[in-house]
Amino acid sequence: MSDMPLRTWRPVTTEAPLFRTALIAVVLGILAVLLFAPLITVFYEALRKGWFAAITSLANPEALSAIKLTLLVAALAVPLNAVFGIAAAWFITKYDFRGKAFLITLIDLPFSVSPVVAGLCIVLTFGANTAFGGWLVGMGYPIVFALPGIVLASLFVTFPFVARELIPVMIEQGRAEEEAALTLGASGWRVFLTVTLPNVRWALLYGVLLANARAMGEFGAVAVVSGKIRGVTATMPITIEMMYNEYLSVAAFSLAGVLALLALVTLALKTALEIAHADALAANHRH
Amino acid sequence: MGRPLIHRSPIPGLGVSAGITLTMLTLVVLLPIGALLLKGATAGFPALWHEVNTRRVWGALFLSFRLSFYAALFNLVFGVALAWILVRYRFWGRRLIDAAVDLPFALPTAVAGIALTALYAPNGAFGALVKDLGFKIAYTPLGIFIALVFVGLPFVTRTVQPVIEEIDREVEEASATLGASRAHTIRHVILPMLAPAALTGFALSLARAVGEYGSVIFIAGNLPMKTEIAPLLIVIKLEEFNYVGATAIGLAMLVISFAMLFVINVVQVWSRRRIGYV
Repeated sequence: MSDMPLRTWRPVTTEAPLFRTALIAVVLGILAVLLFAPLITVFYEALRKGWFAAITSLANPEALSAIKLTLLVAALAVPLNAVFGIAAAWFITKYDFRGKAFLITLIDLPFSVSPVVAGLCIVLTFGANTAFGGWLVGMGYPIVFALPGIVLASLFVTFPFVARELIPVMIEQGRAEEEAALTLGASGWRVFLTVTLPNVRWALLYGVLLANARAMGEFGAVAVVSGKIRGVTATMPITIEMMYNEYLSVAAFSLAGVLALLALVTLALKTALEIAHADALAANHRH
Repeated sequence: MGRPLIHRSPIPGLGVSAGITLTMLTLVVLLPIGALLLKGATAGFPALWHEVNTRRVWGALFLSFRLSFYAALFNLVFGVALAWILVRYRFWGRRLIDAAVDLPFALPTAVAGIALTALYAPNGAFGALVKDLGFKIAYTPLGIFIALVFVGLPFVTRTVQPVIEEIDREVEEASATLGASRAHTIRHVILPMLAPAALTGFALSLARAVGEYGSVIFIAGNLPMKTEIAPLLIVIKLEEFNYVGATAIGLAMLVISFAMLFVINVVQVWSRRRIGYV
């Protein structure tokens, strides 16, 4: 009799146990089908004919040149993105000027533009059929169907990543520390390197991590501007598409497996940052 | 009178930071988008309309926006449920699930595309399963829907999660004290508080789905009028060197997307005002 009320009692701010279990089961079931199954499929298909087949398919010249190109594109686009992100965050958070909200909207614009449309825009600006693009091709510096176009497309799709991470953190930290350092006679660069940068380093790393994952994996925008020239402008995602369409399943999924591993490492590092440095990140990443 | 364009500041670096920001913004974003608008303007409205006003283009636009809407709707409901169990319930593997929600952001779309196709094609693990039931997923609009759900999955969860964390339990207790059942409290107290954030996630998911290319083209089958999405049609026009055609579809997508985002924004302002304190 004494334990009866204890069994039936539950806080008014929770749902019935049966409802909770059912909701968890349904949500996790959907996640398993939509999220985890595709991830497992990548590795399953890559290793279908064994480790040896997977590794040798990665060693073929086409795959190797794709890996090299993707690393090169990320090595160019991500630092440029970081420089832009730092400059934009400094400009937006350290000064008061008219049109700030509009500027932020423009920086966010690439998020609401389809990657294919982004590629189209770059082709229409720098393509060989335009006046400017034609002149550049004549000078021997083609942009579209060449490396600069791929870097430009990667920059476009990753444009807001670093700035978006830095701006909220720098707004929260205010300007007092920088102003104090300036009063004590530090130069602008010294203030940036010894006061601002240490304060935002984790947020910067977070933004760079996301930008890198997107730059290495971008498909739509790069598909349009690269021309998909084998061994020259075919990045890893483009090469995956070509191999898949040629029914080279193991080769396509092995290369896809490398990118999937990169995605998992990105997620792991991102989660580690969220746990270890929550107070140094933008508020919406704190758990 | 009038505010100055830029207030004087003792902090140095205005020239450098403004210079880098505006130069890169112009070169990477504004100039290319300007080129699209210019191409549209020089082609003229009749030429653009002529390109868009074909059954194939209307079919692709209708398919893209219709399926994107359904996928965003699915993600709206599912995203709120997922955010709710991640914040309020304790179960084994919760932290892992929480981290894994962002997988669609991290996994390249081409990888997701071929993996989903391998899984849902008639000879794939799930595809074979539903084939026995007389269903087909890959190479049908249902396959496109699944790919669009995949790419938009994290948005609603990530916008709603912080709001659920902030909800004051006393509000729920007050509602219960006043005699409301749990279902009534959820329906009339909690869900209205989540609405603005959920709508933001819905809009992001929708915008992402409309423009999505990489994860869709493998699973779609790409049959004109049936499973051909608008971004693919842009790529096809470009491969035919039909720049006016590509521009026309690109502009149509931009116009419809911005119109939709504007409507969602209006609904959001309205819901925020109605609830007042969110």
